[in-house]
Amino acid sequence: MIYLDNAATTRPLKSAVSAAERALYDLYFNPSALYAGGIRTYREIDGARGEILSLLADRENFELVFTSCGTEADNQAIFGSVKRGNFVTTAGEHAAVYECAKELKNRGTDVRFAPLNGDGSVNEDELLRLVDENTSLVSVIHVNNETGAINPIERISEKVKQKNSRAVFMSDGVQAFGKIPVRLTKNIDFYSVSAHKIGALKGTGALFKRKKVNLAPYLYGGGQEGGKRSGTENVFGILTFASAAKEKCASLKSDGERVLKLREMLLEKLDRNMFTRVSSICGTPYILTVAAKGIRGETLVRMLSDRGVYAGTGSACSSKKPYSRVIEACGVDRGLLNGILRFSFSAENTQEEIASAAEIINVTAKELYGRVK
Amino acid sequence: MTEKVIIIRYAEIHLKGKNRGFFERLFTVNLERCLKGLRHELRRLSGRYLVEKFDGDKIEEIEERIASVFGVHSYSVGLKTEAELDSIFECALSVCPEDGTFKVETHRGNKRFPCTSMEVNAEIGARLLNARPRLKVDVHSPASYVYIDIRENQTALVFGEFKKGRGGMPVGASGKGLLLISGGIDSPVAGYMMAKRGMQVDYLHFHSYPHTNELAKEKVVSLAKQIAKFTNTYRLSTVSVTKIQEEIHAKCAPELNVTLLRRFMFRIAEAIAERKGAQCLITGESLGQVASQTIEGMTSSNAVVALPVLRPLVGFDKDEIIERSKDIGTYEISIEPYEDCCTVFLPDFPATKPKLSFIESEEKKLDVEGLVADALSTLEIIYY
Repeated sequence: MIYLDNAATTRPLKSAVSAAERALYDLYFNPSALYAGGIRTYREIDGARGEILSLLADRENFELVFTSCGTEADNQAIFGSVKRGNFVTTAGEHAAVYECAKELKNRGTDVRFAPLNGDGSVNEDELLRLVDENTSLVSVIHVNNETGAINPIERISEKVKQKNSRAVFMSDGVQAFGKIPVRLTKNIDFYSVSAHKIGALKGTGALFKRKKVNLAPYLYGGGQEGGKRSGTENVFGILTFASAAKEKCASLKSDGERVLKLREMLLEKLDRNMFTRVSSICGTPYILTVAAKGIRGETLVRMLSDRGVYAGTGSACSSKKPYSRVIEACGVDRGLLNGILRFSFSAENTQEEIASAAEIINVTAKELYGRVK
Repeated sequence: MTEKVIIIRYAEIHLKGKNRGFFERLFTVNLERCLKGLRHELRRLSGRYLVEKFDGDKIEEIEERIASVFGVHSYSVGLKTEAELDSIFECALSVCPEDGTFKVETHRGNKRFPCTSMEVNAEIGARLLNARPRLKVDVHSPASYVYIDIRENQTALVFGEFKKGRGGMPVGASGKGLLLISGGIDSPVAGYMMAKRGMQVDYLHFHSYPHTNELAKEKVVSLAKQIAKFTNTYRLSTVSVTKIQEEIHAKCAPELNVTLLRRFMFRIAEAIAERKGAQCLITGESLGQVASQTIEGMTSSNAVVALPVLRPLVGFDKDEIIERSKDIGTYEISIEPYEDCCTVFLPDFPATKPKLSFIESEEKKLDVEGLVADALSTLEIIYY
C-alpha cells in the first residue's frame, strides 16, 4: 500500500510511539495530584508545553492551551473571541472554522467571507476591504488543506492590525505546523495545531495564544490549562505530540526539500491529458491537488484503493452538492469540480513509491475514463 | 398457586378452516423463535397461547419481542390461578386500580364451572367494591376492566388490559418473496408489509462499486437487521450492476438509463428468486413517486419477468411510508446520507413515459444475457 493521504493523518513516528509507551506505563498519574508521581507528570506536561511553544513562538508573549484536536482549538478561539461586531474569514477555511462561521451567522453575527485566488489562497485585498472598525475577529487558514496554498499570515495579520488594532487575528495552522517554517509574530493572536498530522497520535491539539489576548474557557471544570480548558490532561497524547513536533521541526528543512521533489516527480509523471494541476507551485510541498477530466475523484479514489494507492479527494460526494466548496471557490472549471484528487506526502514516502503510484494512477484514471465517457 | 403469565391471542388464523393446524404450528414456531434465549414455557390453549414460567425482570423484553411477531392480534400480562372465586378475587384485586370506574368481564371457557359468567361478574364486582370503597361500577364506559377467563383444567386467567399486537399472519404462511432493497426509506417498509401478510422475505441489494460507496452496503445491512425481528431473515444478497450501468451509459439513450437499469435488476432478481425458491419479487415502488415509478416504468420492468412483482406501497403517499418506517425503526437509518446511484449515470431528464418499443430497440444494443450472467457472478451473500 502506498499512502498518499498524509494531510488526512499520518502514520505515527516510532519515536512518538515510544514516547506514548513511556507516558502510558510510567506517567499514568493525574497531573493535578499532590504526590510525587502526579508532580512528575505535571512537570513533564509543562516541559512538553514549553518545548512545543518554543518551536513556533517566544515564550514571553505566547502561551499554549492543549485541546483534544485542532477543531476544538479553532472552536475555542472563535467562540471565545467573537463577542461583538463582525467576523471576517475566508472561503477557503477548513470545516472546523467554516462551520463555526456558519453557526455564528445563524446566531445573527455579521460574518464576511473573503474570496479566494485560483490556487486556494485568500484574495488579500478583498479580505482587507471586509475588515472595518467593528471587526472583532479575522481568521485566515495558514495552509489550505485542500489545495496546499499558503497564506502569508504574517503580512495579512499586520495589515489587519493596521486597519483595526483591536481585531483579534487567528489562523488554523494544522497543515503548516511541522511542515513549513512558521514563527508567530505579535500580530497573530491565536494559532491552532494538531498532533496527528505530524506523526503523533489522534486526540491531541493545541492553541497558541498571545498572553495579552483574552480567551474564554470552552470547558469548565477542574481548572486545568490555566482554567482555559478544564479536563484531566491527555498526558500520553501531549508527550507524544511534543516528541513528534520536535522531531518534525528539526528536520523541517530537509523533509521539505525531499517532499518537494516527490510532489514535483508525481506531477511530472501524471498523464497531462487526464490531470490538470489545481494547487500552486508555491504551495506547501506536502500537498498536490489535481483535477481529473471527465471522471469523478471519488470513484477514482475507490479504484486506487483497490489497487493499493490511498489518496484523498476534495470532499465527500453528496447528492445535493457533489463537489467541494473550497475548490469551487478557487474558480475551478465546473466540468472538473467532480474530479478533484489530493495527494499528500510525508517524509516517509519514497521515489519508488511515487513512480509506482503514478503509473497506477494513470492506468486507473484512463480505464475509468473509458468506462464512463 | 398464582403466577404471572402472558396471554397471546392470534389474528385471522381463526378464519382458516382445515388449514388451521398448519397456521397454529407455524405461529408456535415463530413465537418460540422470538423467545429464544429467554427462560419460558409456551403453551397452546384453545384459541390462545400462554407464556409462563419466565423471569419476572425480563417481562418488558418478552412483551417487546411478542409485540413484533406477526400473527399476534393482542396480548395481555395477567395472572394464572385456580378456578375458584377466592383466588380469582385475589388476582382481580391486584389488577384493579384503587379508584375510578371499572367493569368485570368474565369469559367462561369451562362450562362446568359452577357459576355463570354473569354470576362471576356480580360476585367479584361486589367483593372489589367492598375492598376498595373509592371504586365505582360503570358497565358502559368504565375507566378500567378486570377480565376473567375461566379455562379448562381448573385454571383461570385474570388481566386488566389488551395490548395490541402487530396483527398479520405468521411469517412463512404465505410463501416466499425476494425484496429489492436499496438504502432508502421505501423498500424496508415494503418488506415489512409483505412479511406482515405472512411472506418469508429474502433481500437483494444492487450496488455499483466503485461508483458508489462501499459503506452503502453496510447501511442496507443495518436496515435488514432492523426489520429482522419482524421478517426472521438474517441474510442479504448483493449483486454489482456496475458493468451494466457503464454499458447502458456508453450505448443507450441517456433518458432511458434508469428504465433500462431497472429491467436488468428485475432480470437478475428473477434469476436469484428462482435459485432461492422465491415466488415473487417485491419492490418499494409507489406510483408516481419518481420518474421511474410511473405506470409506464413499472410496465416496462414487469415485461422482462414472468414472476409476479408485488408493490405493497403502490398506493401510499410518501408521508404514509415515512410514518410506517418510523414505526418499524428504519427511518433513522434510511435518512443517513448514501448514494444509491452515481450521479454520472443519472440523466438530466429521465423518461417518465418510456415506450416499450423504444426501450426494446435501445436494449438491442446491449448483450443482455451476457451482462445478466456477469452480474450474477458477482453475487455475494452477507449473513448478519
